[in-house]
Amino acid sequence: MISEKRIILKNAGRINPGKIEDYIAAGGYRSAGIALEKDETEIIDIVIRSRLRGRGGAGFTTGLKMKYTNQSGIISPGRYLICNADEGEPGTFKDRAIMENDPHLLIEGMIIAAYSIKASKAYIYLRGEYFRSNELLSGAIRQAKEHEFLGRNIFGTGYSLDIEIKTGAGSYLCGEELTLIESLEGKRGYPRIKPPFPTEKGLFGDPTLVYNVETLSNLPLIIEHGAEYFSSIGTADSAGTKIITISGDVINPGYFEVEMGVTLRDIIFELAGGIPDGRNFKAALLGGASGTFIDSTALGTPLGYDSLKSIGAVLGSGAIMVMNDQRDILKMTHSILKFFGHESCGKCVPCRIGNSVLTDGMEDIIKRRDKSRYNLDLLIYEADYMSKTSLCPLGQSPVLPLKSLKRYFEKEFRFDIK
Amino acid sequence: MNYVSISIDGKNILAWEGGNLLQVARENGFDIPGLCYHKKLTPTGACRLCVIKIKGQNGLVMSCTVTVKEGMEITAFDDELEETRRHTLDYLLAEHNDESDGTYKDELWDLAIRYNLDKRENRKYPNICRNLDYKKDISSQVLEYDASKCIKCFRCIKACEEVQGKNVLSFSERGIYSHIIAGFDKWIESECDGCGECVQLCPTGALVEKPHREEIKLYKIEKKIITTCPYCGVGCQLELLVQNGRILRSNGVEGILPNDGRLCVKGRFGFDFVHDKERLTKPLLKRNGTFTEITWDEALSLVASKFLMIREKYGNESLAGYTSAKCTNEENYLFQKFVRIVFANNNIDYCTRLCHASTVTAMLRSIGDGAGSNSIEDFELTDCLFVTGNNIIETHPVTATYIKSGKRKGQKLIVCDPKWTPLVRYADIWLQPRLGTDVALLNGMIKVILDENLTDEKFIKERVYGGTDSLEELKIAVQEYTPGQVERITNVPQDLLTEAARIYACAKTAIIATGMGMSQQVVGTNNVFALINMMLITGQIGKMHAGLCPPRGQNNVQGATDVGCSPIYYPGYIPIIDDENRKRIAALWKVRPENLSGKPGLSTVEIVNAAYDGKIKGMYIMGENPMVTDPDLNHTEKAFHKLEFLVVQDIFMTETARIADLVLPASSFAEKNGTFVNSDRRVLRVRKAVDLPGEAREDRQIIADIAEKMGYDIGNYNSESEIFDEIAKAAHIMAGISYERIDHQGIQWPCPDKDHPGTGTLFLERFNTSDGKARINPVRFVEQTEKPTERFPFILNTGRILFQYHSSTMSGKNRTLNQFANKSYILMNSSDMKKFGFSNGDTVKVWNERGELITTLRESEEVAQGELFMPWHFSESHVNNLTRNDLDPYSKIAPFKLSACKIEKIQTRES
Repeated sequence: MISEKRIILKNAGRINPGKIEDYIAAGGYRSAGIALEKDETEIIDIVIRSRLRGRGGAGFTTGLKMKYTNQSGIISPGRYLICNADEGEPGTFKDRAIMENDPHLLIEGMIIAAYSIKASKAYIYLRGEYFRSNELLSGAIRQAKEHEFLGRNIFGTGYSLDIEIKTGAGSYLCGEELTLIESLEGKRGYPRIKPPFPTEKGLFGDPTLVYNVETLSNLPLIIEHGAEYFSSIGTADSAGTKIITISGDVINPGYFEVEMGVTLRDIIFELAGGIPDGRNFKAALLGGASGTFIDSTALGTPLGYDSLKSIGAVLGSGAIMVMNDQRDILKMTHSILKFFGHESCGKCVPCRIGNSVLTDGMEDIIKRRDKSRYNLDLLIYEADYMSKTSLCPLGQSPVLPLKSLKRYFEKEFRFDIK
Repeated sequence: MNYVSISIDGKNILAWEGGNLLQVARENGFDIPGLCYHKKLTPTGACRLCVIKIKGQNGLVMSCTVTVKEGMEITAFDDELEETRRHTLDYLLAEHNDESDGTYKDELWDLAIRYNLDKRENRKYPNICRNLDYKKDISSQVLEYDASKCIKCFRCIKACEEVQGKNVLSFSERGIYSHIIAGFDKWIESECDGCGECVQLCPTGALVEKPHREEIKLYKIEKKIITTCPYCGVGCQLELLVQNGRILRSNGVEGILPNDGRLCVKGRFGFDFVHDKERLTKPLLKRNGTFTEITWDEALSLVASKFLMIREKYGNESLAGYTSAKCTNEENYLFQKFVRIVFANNNIDYCTRLCHASTVTAMLRSIGDGAGSNSIEDFELTDCLFVTGNNIIETHPVTATYIKSGKRKGQKLIVCDPKWTPLVRYADIWLQPRLGTDVALLNGMIKVILDENLTDEKFIKERVYGGTDSLEELKIAVQEYTPGQVERITNVPQDLLTEAARIYACAKTAIIATGMGMSQQVVGTNNVFALINMMLITGQIGKMHAGLCPPRGQNNVQGATDVGCSPIYYPGYIPIIDDENRKRIAALWKVRPENLSGKPGLSTVEIVNAAYDGKIKGMYIMGENPMVTDPDLNHTEKAFHKLEFLVVQDIFMTETARIADLVLPASSFAEKNGTFVNSDRRVLRVRKAVDLPGEAREDRQIIADIAEKMGYDIGNYNSESEIFDEIAKAAHIMAGISYERIDHQGIQWPCPDKDHPGTGTLFLERFNTSDGKARINPVRFVEQTEKPTERFPFILNTGRILFQYHSSTMSGKNRTLNQFANKSYILMNSSDMKKFGFSNGDTVKVWNERGELITTLRESEEVAQGELFMPWHFSESHVNNLTRNDLDPYSKIAPFKLSACKIEKIQTRES
């Protein structure tokens, strides 16, 4: 029987998230104090050595992003930290778990990250529907200011930081970092041309570090316990823990913090209690809409960025949506494609029209089955073209689930052999 | 910038480092497709057609988003790229409505043909545009939007935002349902002012001009003529599309200055007057109070005999001519030659006397040249712009686009105006002085600059006459203008005044743009002296991107004086009294020097006064409409009625033509060849696009014919080009310019020889004074004699609006422009409305001892309490019935900007 390993969510359910005193009593804000005594390059070095990778989905090495932002900001007066809390990936609610249970952990992580790039202003771009998170974070920022963890001259070090919350307005695309920045600047959420990357030219044209909530929440424990401690948790390619949010056909849906390396089977069948109503497992969608399908042959795979990649899957945001043997893969696929079509901003042609072609194609397959002028290969062909030519990750996404379907569920699309 | 070497498909190319790769590739013959890119706009990367590969980089890259770097190896064409482009194009065609009515160019369709996708059967994807319920918006006065033709390339949005600085357009909805909206929804309800930049940059038929759409077919266009806009002094280059002998469309010409394709609503939609049914087509003689048609021969003989008779009877000084800033340099040059040879006096002037005469007077005395010191693009490149008395967004809309671009890059903008103007929205500081208190305000700024030691001592020592000693007199003159005192006089808060002075003085470079608000005052010349003093002590002239620019109101107001239409100057600003020059000109004109009068002539208002006094008996007016534009119109009308003979040569029966004895039908800008000179001294070509209506004749022919009938030879020219060559000989400033040289793009004078590139910025080495140094002319504030009284409690200000132009002779003949604004009105502050019991929309009588008018009242915070504003375009309520002819003693300009008056309700607004 495996169990959770709560190092990020260690305070969840144990302290009152609305009280800074509770957080402090649990050892909170100690890390920030330690960090601010260090040189920022030392912090960057620790974070690189910890092997922490971005928890938003892309899995980029966290410390490197810090390093690039720190370096490119030499001539520019302003630098910004943005916490991406626009948690919009279907099936994902891990950031909410952190913000609603332990908002000060995020604030503390942000102090450390902002200090590492000498930013004096940080933003939390928060999903608009997260009212509870907003309330708790606003309170946490106010309390932190009162305790002089934020504001001018934090810990008497001469370093000053202000954190401001900005709420999103329901666009999936605004979770993409450059679109988020555009939105944060008060503009319509359209993706920007990349390069330049935010580390070079981000918010208001200045070097900007964009981190996911969960990524930031790892920083206090890395600073407190050291890179080696963190690196020793998890696997060779993926250090630390991951908060998994599991939904769909499981007995015990919810969030679980697990050490990297546990198997998908452990998560689905032990922590989440398996499939209800005596049904069998058919498929799981990992990482949300822009994620990948797997079948039961993949359940033994250990959790990790590279291990999942090796079986054609992604860890992504850590969402797992489980489907029992009654579920229709085709309808699920159609639903995902429709979602992309709905969320496509319309700026670039391949995504705007491609998603419409994919949705219509999938609809045609469902309706006309083997008489359809489309088939899975044709959908992948379109999605592949989209991923090569689209401006932002949204247009590059549909190919991921489609290719995983080809690998694990091709026979669902073969009406002739049924 | 450096040149770097890159290769495209194996061809080595030298390119600017940091240049746009797509642009570079296209300039080097690689026709990479692309629809969302336009060289005037920031790259968008939306259409994904310009894909390329860069060696060493993974995947496909959009060339429009790449900046050129040394050593790049580019693949622009291979099978994969072409297949990808075809795929994207096929996608675009799937949401596109292919039907075309032939009224627009369609870059998408050109690509469809190129990729063999014009035929439906070659396309892979079914057309979905019908399913999308695409919207149409035909509510605008000037354009129609059809979302089924829209490829969502952002070019219109960026045209509106980045090029014109207006930010009216955006997308509504998202994804496949996205479509363009103006403002919050309907075009007609938005702030769109009809410039049509979006239409010009639309690559498909999504945005098309509305006027003449039912008539125009691009495949029937006979000719496209590049010429210069006939409205304001920006000198925008237009391309006129002619079909069946009629102008049906006007486009901005891309890639050349001054406008680089930009136009305003008048330039793009204001050409219908050319074909208006009210154009004069026959000479008209007034008999017993009504006009009857006569032949040209009768008309010319009559003019000749009348002028000869008057000169015989009353002497050489009894004749005068008004020429026009609307006419070409060639016509104006001939006209002044006519007056000087045939009338044998210097009684020639035109409306410049009523606009920038004071500016020019002050500039000539202080720095030696009355023209703008800078180039139009400097409005963008300067670090600080001080715009005073100049509603530049409405009166020089295209110049204003450069300011908005500069502002986006961080330029500091100070606006000084008693009335709110749209530019205030962009300003860092708005100084709102009471009408007529400019000298106090500027002296206050000068005092701040002197007290805080923000002067440029090096400049003063090297470039100002008297060096730092010259400051002594100035210090005394401005001593009393402490910020507190200035606040009492002008109402401008002290801290704003101080901050404005600091910003201007400390800016690395600063340009002053001054307009009618400064010049059209009794103290107009002093106003500009004060401006120049501030500029000289801070050294904000004599270097790049710094100086003083009075944007010119009319298309050729600069040129008309350049070529000698002035009572005191020969062509090229050489004084009448210069005997040597008169001898030189006499030789050029093949007349005896003693036949050219060396006595300065009368100026515009002086001519009217002389007519009133019975000294001027006959007048020849070409293209001017003093019965709208002159101050104190009742007086002007009486003066004209006293003339024994008045001939008006015009394209319409203007208010002035109506009181003439003889009216001659003349040519519009579209019916002749010639040149205009714009506000930044650029000599620009005017080209014939259409034939003259009826028996109307070209102005230069009419002038020459009258001279001939009177027995004079004022030159025998085979073409306008030959006239220009003579101008180049007469006026040194244009000596190096010829039609050949300005065929593609204008040249800025001074251009002393044919190898000279022209001069973008004046005074870089020396000022145009005898010793090369500038002069400080200290001035003091004088209270206006015209003051609000119990009887006339309001002070009336006058000015212009975007949609009409001057006496609206031309602009008022365009349906499109009239749809925006065609009725007179007067603005009053809301607290005055309340205090005096007026309500918005009341019909009011405005009057003073000089005259009265009836108009509609509008409530507006654009004017301060106690002040009123009225545009002067509308002949149904001549605002100049109320203005004065108390002239500025130096420049003889009239104070249009300040008249005391009373306002009374005569009818409550019909509800």
